[in-house]
Amino acid sequence: MSHERSLYFQGGTLVINGVGASEAMPEVFRWVKGHWRCEAYHYARLRPMLTGLDIQDTVPRWQTIDLHLHDTREPHEYQLAALSAWEQAGQQGSIVLPTGAGKTFVAIHAIHNVKRSALVVAPTLDLLHQWYARLVNAFQMEVGVYYGAEKIVHPLTVTTYHSAGDLIAHQGNNFKLVIYDEVHHLPAPSWGETALMTPAPLRLGLTATYPEAHEQSDGRWQIDELIGPIVYEVPINDLTGQQLAEYRTERIRIDLTEPERTAYETDYAIYAGFFRARNLRRTHGKNWLMELMRLSAFDAEARRALLARQRILRLLAGAEGKFAILDSLLREYSHEQTLIFTENNTVAYAIARRHLIPVITHETSADERKHILEAYQLGEYRAIVTSRVLNEGVDVPEAKVAIVLGGTASAREYIQRLGRVLRKVGNRQAVLFEVIARQTTEEGKAQRRKPRRIAHAHR
Amino acid sequence: MLTADLIRPRLRVRGDTLHVELLSPENRHWQASATDLIDLFQKLSGHTSGEWETAVEQLEGERLDYVVLRGLAKVLSDGATWVTRSSPLPPADLRRLVFGRGPVLDEADLFHPQSRAMLLQDIAAELGTDIITLERSLFADLASESVLAEVGPAWTPESLITRYNLELTRGVLYWARLMEVEIYDGYQDFWRYLKLFKLMFEAKPYQGGYGVTLDGPISPFVSTTTRYGRQFAAFLPALLLGERWQMRATVKSPFSDDWLRYELNSTSPLTSHFKRSGEFDSRMEADFAAEFIEKFGEGRGQWQLSREDEVLLLEDTVMIPDFAFTHQKDGRRALLEIMGFWHPDYLRRKLAKVRAAGRSDLILLVYEGVNLTAEQLTDVPGEVLYFKNKPVLKDVMALVERIAK
Repeated sequence: MSHERSLYFQGGTLVINGVGASEAMPEVFRWVKGHWRCEAYHYARLRPMLTGLDIQDTVPRWQTIDLHLHDTREPHEYQLAALSAWEQAGQQGSIVLPTGAGKTFVAIHAIHNVKRSALVVAPTLDLLHQWYARLVNAFQMEVGVYYGAEKIVHPLTVTTYHSAGDLIAHQGNNFKLVIYDEVHHLPAPSWGETALMTPAPLRLGLTATYPEAHEQSDGRWQIDELIGPIVYEVPINDLTGQQLAEYRTERIRIDLTEPERTAYETDYAIYAGFFRARNLRRTHGKNWLMELMRLSAFDAEARRALLARQRILRLLAGAEGKFAILDSLLREYSHEQTLIFTENNTVAYAIARRHLIPVITHETSADERKHILEAYQLGEYRAIVTSRVLNEGVDVPEAKVAIVLGGTASAREYIQRLGRVLRKVGNRQAVLFEVIARQTTEEGKAQRRKPRRIAHAHR
Repeated sequence: MLTADLIRPRLRVRGDTLHVELLSPENRHWQASATDLIDLFQKLSGHTSGEWETAVEQLEGERLDYVVLRGLAKVLSDGATWVTRSSPLPPADLRRLVFGRGPVLDEADLFHPQSRAMLLQDIAAELGTDIITLERSLFADLASESVLAEVGPAWTPESLITRYNLELTRGVLYWARLMEVEIYDGYQDFWRYLKLFKLMFEAKPYQGGYGVTLDGPISPFVSTTTRYGRQFAAFLPALLLGERWQMRATVKSPFSDDWLRYELNSTSPLTSHFKRSGEFDSRMEADFAAEFIEKFGEGRGQWQLSREDEVLLLEDTVMIPDFAFTHQKDGRRALLEIMGFWHPDYLRRKLAKVRAAGRSDLILLVYEGVNLTAEQLTDVPGEVLYFKNKPVLKDVMALVERIAK
């Protein structure tokens, strides 16, 4: 309520103080609740106009950061060209890079060149953790993480599209540069809204697949409007190829113990009985599970069947025979880097406690996760266990041995695991063990999958 | 507050309105369920959050009303105090230490001579603790390992059910994009909580009270945003502090793309757990009111004194003067604000509001001790009266007589 003419940031909007309704302001502003206001993303455009309008700019709260790049790799020609194009475009716009072309490296150089507080927005938690580790290593400084379980804000911070909205609403003007990883996600309603709320004048979008015009219309946001246009596209033939390992798979079948078998058969009868009686697969096809969940809210038999299914999954995940096999494999491959994948957190923690090996779940902090993966790479930990499927685009650490406990994963996840877990280590062939329970639903699923060899990917 | 999955199953759509299926506190079945959960919760004092979850699951069994049970359980859990067990080292550091020495196998052999028990025993000894403590501390920082330290309020089945109903009622607002209310009293609390939950408002006088629209900064630009749903939900108990009010919210249907109406008013049996602001903000106000009642109370004088019954709407904020004087016969009114606190920020904010209000029928009663000189108050449109120790009621009333409109 003072009479100084100033522009300030408020919850994703820019508000002008001290200017009345009768004075014309740039077109993007609207008179709302006694002030001129507009969406914060207009800041870049408005910034040069403010002096001429005699309005004090109180928006920026970002810092200058003294950054030293500890990543000594030489950039590729195309990476330098992309960065240069982005600079020329006023440091606003998107770079289209095929997978594996080093977009993180480009982002790191962009941050280094800008030398101001920066925010990286990633689509998944796995990618958030990966960005965190890479930024810490590249700059050897504290990096913040902002998502459900951890909210630590530093001049360099990584967040997810899901959590960015809250961070931006409160501290959007703490960042001068925002980098949107996998920016093809931006048109989605709530995620684009976040970009709308961001005052950062410098913006970089990164993706391998820029959405078509029609994918950015009809109630969905436009990347060009919120970030800027494509400033550079990296042609595919500029990149060198990389080979993935050849590996062999071994399927190991274990028997349930007697008590486990009894419990399994009882629950399976309940579950399968209901399934057959209602013929869910015929009526609902691949949405049978959702239908079962819907029914269980009011149909007692459906609820019994759903609970039976949950008990079956828990029992199979923690079957004692799987622990015994795991123990013997750890013994047999006692000098090899080993990755262990479980179906759920409970089993992951049980293995961690039983064998005293590090565990990564969605509850693991960014810092600890980074430590575990790096120590594992250095051989300080020989084995680690995780309940997360390490998803698309995330680096999986090198392993000679991968042990997948449980055949209940869907075919796609399973193949992803195969394709990404194993990297060529010299000439040595890697091995993937799949441990499943004999004469259970796990066996049926595993047989349905057709094993595919993934030879190499030219990029 | 409840999570979305515990609220959605209790929602029903009728035409274009959304309704919540509340529990009846007199219902025997719910009373029994509430009693079971309260007893169970008390038994689990000193146990972990994971054990509580397992216990609730066991109580649920195959019951179809598990959504309600989980909701009641969440209310109990939210009202309690959970702590992380203390450990010889921070758990993350403990993990580094222990896992750095692993892996161990189920049985020792030539290449793994140390068994699990031996290794843990060694480490425990190094840290000056025992194996049991060591094992318990390894993952003490997990949410499921937090320990129930204080059970919280002394719940009765009725109070738990009533609180559950409140949580359901407010949770519907998670999906709201707009909230419109009419309020006729309790202005001080209403605006105080609005400010606390960072909601924006637009208000107009309405039938002796005020019509207020609530939303957030981005709403004018993205009219469909439900970004402020959590804040609306957090705010609702403040509305329940008033004696007379109505609310309409525009809420996204959980079952389709439609927008639905959600209504609530002061006839609702729900009660708020929010604190009301005190009877008087300061001793000065209390004394002033007491003296007025002593001299002019029981209709002896021409003027009636009321507290905070008028809201001065100032664009994006409000001012609610401490007192108002209303003439018994002709209805003329004057407003009174006591400036009794010395802090410069307080004075600056108050004065800014007074100036913005621009009311010539507002009297500023200024305590000499706050150090506000006459020069600082020249542009104040109303009247200013100074007092040394105690306001002189006679002088105040003379001024009221003069400036009331």
